[in-house]
Amino acid sequence: MTSAEPLDKTVLELKDVRASYGNIEALKGVSLTVQAGEIIALLGANGAGKSSALKVTTGLLPPTGGSVRFSGRETKGERTERLVKRGLVMVPEGRRIFPALTVKENLLMGAYFRKDKQEIRRDQEWLLDLFPALASRAGQDGGTLSGGEQQMLAIARGLMGRPILLLLDEPSLGLAPKIIRGIFQTIGEINRTRGTAILLVEQNARLALTASARAYIMTTGRITAEGPSKELLENEEVKKAYLGG
Amino acid sequence: MDFFLDLLVGGLTKGSIYALIALGYTMVYGIIAVINFAHGEIYMISAFTALIFGSILSSVGLAGWGLLFAVIAVSALYAAMYGWTVEKIAYKPLRGSSRLAPLISAIGMSLFLQNFVLLAQTPNYLPFPALVPDVPFPAILTRHASDTQIVIILVTAASMALLTLFIKKTRMGTAMRAVSQDLEMARLSGVDTDKIISFTFITGSVLAAVGGVLIGCGMRQIDFYIGFLAGMKAFTAAVLGGIGSVPGAVIGALILGFAESFAAGYISSSYEDVVAFAFLILILIFKPDGVMGAATTHKV
Repeated sequence: MTSAEPLDKTVLELKDVRASYGNIEALKGVSLTVQAGEIIALLGANGAGKSSALKVTTGLLPPTGGSVRFSGRETKGERTERLVKRGLVMVPEGRRIFPALTVKENLLMGAYFRKDKQEIRRDQEWLLDLFPALASRAGQDGGTLSGGEQQMLAIARGLMGRPILLLLDEPSLGLAPKIIRGIFQTIGEINRTRGTAILLVEQNARLALTASARAYIMTTGRITAEGPSKELLENEEVKKAYLGG
Repeated sequence: MDFFLDLLVGGLTKGSIYALIALGYTMVYGIIAVINFAHGEIYMISAFTALIFGSILSSVGLAGWGLLFAVIAVSALYAAMYGWTVEKIAYKPLRGSSRLAPLISAIGMSLFLQNFVLLAQTPNYLPFPALVPDVPFPAILTRHASDTQIVIILVTAASMALLTLFIKKTRMGTAMRAVSQDLEMARLSGVDTDKIISFTFITGSVLAAVGGVLIGCGMRQIDFYIGFLAGMKAFTAAVLGGIGSVPGAVIGALILGFAESFAAGYISSSYEDVVAFAFLILILIFKPDGVMGAATTHKV
């Protein structure tokens, strides 16, 4: 027996990650971890580097320094589509529904790499149960859905890949409060019933802190605060900067 | 009226060939936004493949529909290999570079393939073997259409039907549509987009091969240069229909085929090409998105 990482429950670990777009350094040494089954929030103002952190995690943006480990293995040089197969799924900002594919086809694209036909069908039924608004529109083009329905479809599509870790980039963006509440309830439910770890990037800090167990706060490419979400909700500085006083 | 019907059938035949080639342009453009100018050469090479294998297979006794389909199959296989290779050599290394680079590369590849056939085969026209089966089509069809025209239209229609089924119903076809709508999102769904791009080139090449075999049957002679003009016309058709749109390519090709046929019949056959390219200029000025052009429905 070697002593290296006995019973490692860490799903994702970013260590001192740096990344740039051309000359602009978007990440200046970011470290964070997500444990199995956790909901983690990543907060920060526009342009703080939250989306860049997600892009590095999924392999869409190659890091210029530091390391990313997913599910016990370094992801260096690993292609995005390979990481998806390993269980790292991102629901990107702006939902990115395939507009001219039907709702059902969008869902099936989420399970593209899977071969277990029966299980795929079962997952599809489960998700249409979870999001009844989608069930009645299964044959409709994704582009014809409302913003809220598109967000539900984007999350459902992501879940069709049976992720170990789901990255959610700004799921509340542009949606009505009532719809946001529904979506966050469902996110919590998925986490509880399936044990899917979730890394949630949000501008709506109060919402994210309420939904998550721990949180990281980013400012201009760095993590500037971290801790249990409950504590951050009470923290005076956080209140002033992100919760509107 | 008889003359009109003759021209109509002539236009449909021409349009069919253009459609088979235009689909390759539009599908590749839809996925990687590159105009594959070497595509016309795939069609030309397929005609040569058909000429060679048509002669061999008929000399060993194959005939009728069997001969035609065997020749189409062999040409399609060759074309698929060419299409795959062209993408790997001329476009894949340039992915992520400026938009001009693959365009230049495409023209270079087109010239290379033309001259390759010129040197490897001949600069002269070669007679094309008789591949059209001798079928007693009903008289109502043969009044205004030759057997060859009927076969061209039928084979094209069958190819379109198969393509539609493939794109709409299969997992790979759905992935092709997904990649053309949002390549990055397709990767985020676990799609190996390089594989889909390769497969798109192969599909387009197979369709061009069908066109190449059929044009040989129609013209009964071919040379190394037939791919250039046909490629330009098919490209025009794709733009006319709205480049990137599959039904658009077919509609654009048919419009172009009819326009050419009527211009040749009612004005003069020397105006055929003028009409075709006048169309291209007019579309680019007045409706650059084409008839079925994607009315950018991105909801961000």
